[in-house]
Amino acid sequence: MATSSPDEVSAPIQVYLTSKGTPPSPDWLQSFLPTIKLNTPIIALQKTALFRILATDLTTSLDKSSLVLLPATATTPAFKEQTIRGPLTVQVLDIEDIGHSRWSQVESIEAQERGETTKGREVIRVVPDEEADAAINTTQPASPGPHKLLLQDAAGTKIYAMELSSINGLNMQMTIGTKIVLRDVLVARGMLLLEGRTVQMLGGKVEVWEKKWREERKGRLTQGARG
Amino acid sequence: MVTKVLCVAEKPSIAKAVANHLAGGQVQTRNVQGNPYVKNYEFSYNFPTWGQCSVTMTSVLGHLTSHEFDPQYKSWRSCDPSALFEARIDTIVEDDKKPVAENIKRQAAYNKVLYIWTDCDREGENIGTEIRSVATQGNQSFRQPGNTVRARFSNIERAHIINAARSPVQLDEAQSNAVSARIELDLRIGASFTRNLTMSLQPMLQQRSGEDRSQVISYGSCQFPTLGFVVERYIRVRNFVPETLWGIKVMHEKDRIKVNFNWARGHLFDRMAVIILFERCLTAKTARVTKVQTKPTSKWKPLPLTTVELQKCGSRFLRLDSQRVMQVAEQLYQKGWISYPRTETDQFDRGMDLRALVQKQTQGGPWTQFAQDLMNGGFSQPRSGRNNDKAHPPIHPVNFVVPASLSQEEQRVHEFVVRRFLACCSQDARGSKTEISILYGSEIFNTSGLVVLEQNYLDVYPYDKWTSSQDLPDFREGEVFEPTEARMNEGQTSPPGYLTEPELIALMDANGIGTDATMAEHIAKIKDRDYVQTRPRARQQRQQGEEEEYEPAEAAEPDAGAGRGRGRGRARARGGRGGGAGRGGGATTGVQEFIPTTLGVALVEGYENMGFETSLTKPFLRKEMELRMKAICEGRKTKAEVVHESIEQYRDVYIRTQQRLDSLRAVTGTLVGTPGQNGILVSGTE
Repeated sequence: MATSSPDEVSAPIQVYLTSKGTPPSPDWLQSFLPTIKLNTPIIALQKTALFRILATDLTTSLDKSSLVLLPATATTPAFKEQTIRGPLTVQVLDIEDIGHSRWSQVESIEAQERGETTKGREVIRVVPDEEADAAINTTQPASPGPHKLLLQDAAGTKIYAMELSSINGLNMQMTIGTKIVLRDVLVARGMLLLEGRTVQMLGGKVEVWEKKWREERKGRLTQGARG
Repeated sequence: MVTKVLCVAEKPSIAKAVANHLAGGQVQTRNVQGNPYVKNYEFSYNFPTWGQCSVTMTSVLGHLTSHEFDPQYKSWRSCDPSALFEARIDTIVEDDKKPVAENIKRQAAYNKVLYIWTDCDREGENIGTEIRSVATQGNQSFRQPGNTVRARFSNIERAHIINAARSPVQLDEAQSNAVSARIELDLRIGASFTRNLTMSLQPMLQQRSGEDRSQVISYGSCQFPTLGFVVERYIRVRNFVPETLWGIKVMHEKDRIKVNFNWARGHLFDRMAVIILFERCLTAKTARVTKVQTKPTSKWKPLPLTTVELQKCGSRFLRLDSQRVMQVAEQLYQKGWISYPRTETDQFDRGMDLRALVQKQTQGGPWTQFAQDLMNGGFSQPRSGRNNDKAHPPIHPVNFVVPASLSQEEQRVHEFVVRRFLACCSQDARGSKTEISILYGSEIFNTSGLVVLEQNYLDVYPYDKWTSSQDLPDFREGEVFEPTEARMNEGQTSPPGYLTEPELIALMDANGIGTDATMAEHIAKIKDRDYVQTRPRARQQRQQGEEEEYEPAEAAEPDAGAGRGRGRGRARARGGRGGGAGRGGGATTGVQEFIPTTLGVALVEGYENMGFETSLTKPFLRKEMELRMKAICEGRKTKAEVVHESIEQYRDVYIRTQQRLDSLRAVTGTLVGTPGQNGILVSGTE
């Protein structure tokens, strides 16, 4: 098969990435091309490009001019409600479970650290007991969520978002730096309200952020609990 | 030619009861030299297996033999504690048991058949083999399989005993071996760790506390994990950080009834999020009814009664700690009023004639009418749980007894057993539940109403509560209304309570440590050893809508005539702790909660600090040991294998402990011993 030239492949790659909601910036494309073998089938190159770009910081790798960005009104609490048509591409900077106390989440982490969740060494700490008062005092979260996220668009604007109803793939195992495309999404008082039909999970992560986030999580939760 | 049969029971009371049932009252009683409690009962009986027999029925007093290290290891300074993992163990008969053993040996010589009548559980099988080995010293022929047999019985009721007598079985060697393994392991591991811990920590503790305390820091492979649970909960409570939470409350008045709707999300820990959602509700102005569903509902009658359940309920409803409950239950069993109280089975065998048992309860007591109604057509087969230990049925009343003839505590336990049994044999309680959901803004709110239509089992079982809620007004699906009141509210999380006994029992059960028979003993031990103390739980504020818990009718009096305890486990003749009259426990108001002493916390923290692999305060080591015991019973492992495996595990921990002894000392030292401090962690005012 004939080897393509860099110019020949860059166009189809750009088209593909744009269709996915992640139009690449010229700089990024330039840095990407030397890393690939030009005789690879174009479909494989496109997929590789998507995989790579999903692992980057959107604010540096995307072409802002061809993207929908967050309007200034979205992030101000003054506005009661508006709808953003999108498609709006954002990355996840932070995620919290606001349905459960931070302290109960700290206790879960500590139990894990003590090895109590290792297979064969599990320690059961909460036994269903008829007289126990249900919601307020349980440490083991019954069902996770809802979740609150901190999102960022390609321009660097940050905004909070909350799950109105449970969204597939949106949970505490999600990686920091995951990319999401939002369409026809509601914003109320500066907070995005997410529902299954408005959210498209692209996946991805930013390794460095993810690592730091996981390491600092317990400390952040503890501090948050202490107020 | 009349065959001579020697029957040996585990306790004098059982021997007497069985002898009288079989002999129809024609019994000659003889004293036994050297012991006032054990008697020999002589009578005739026609066994199907051997024909007309001349029977001598006697008993032992729990374990006949005990185990000790070879005398050269007796002194603590005589060897390194780890030598005890391999040291030789001798089987000896202690002085107070010598007359009992002599009696058996002597009688053995005159008899052809040895018929064991110990209680039918693992300990009983083990005691049975002890009896056999002592009896064999007086009569070699008992070694042959046909000449030693065993009775299978679950209660002391006459017909049941006679039936059992006519169908002897063989001793279960596997179960006996499991107990031997446990005894050996408890001895080796207990002794080595106790010596090591005490010698390592005592000098430092003594120095710190300034007292001349030659305190032994004892170790038991089950006590430490039990202590672990108590300490861990204590620390959780101490470290708890309360957090603010927010919710939305909706109330609507219709047909002059105020209906409270609960937010489907419960509450959230982010104020901004709740404000936003609340605003959207208010903006929407009206709520729409999305679901109105009325359907029949029931409250299930309880499952048949197991030991663990009896202990939990004893703590919660009868104000008796688990050890006391078991002692009282044991008395009731020996007197023939209830079935064997150590069982894991929560299903009644289909072939059992339960109606006959219900019939017996129509003779008197506050449940007479209820029992009569069951006989008149209200009877219903009990529910079946998932457990069956194949040895004993669930705990149930075996005979009728006039409550007034029992002691106060016996009455409470007996009443519970009877009521529970009758409840099992009746119907579930039935009601009608209406559930209503509304959509207000983007949020869902729910409310429900309950109408109890038939009390059924609840009439005889006051320990469960189920009451009708207020009436709900009519709502139709699709109906739209503007809620009378909608507001945001704020609250706070609060710490869990310290562990109560029912919770501790449930945790031990869920984590597989301690069998039904031993849980109460382990709990008693950690109190004994000063690792924990108990105090009554302060009456907590009732949440709105929470039901009142069952309260026993009168305040209890401690029962003086506790009688002989079971004396199981280590088989050493203890100076009898006697009922619940020990520290902090017993019949007081309120459920008891456990607070660890500084020493208890120090030990757990010390071990936690040494790392994951050494944790003796976690349940898994003991759980694995229990599983291995089970494997011996089921023939999957031999005693030798199990002893070897467990010793190796603990030896490993021992070595690691040695390496990090300084760490253990450091933690213990910091926590214990401001000079003069006694180790009480929580003052009465907290």
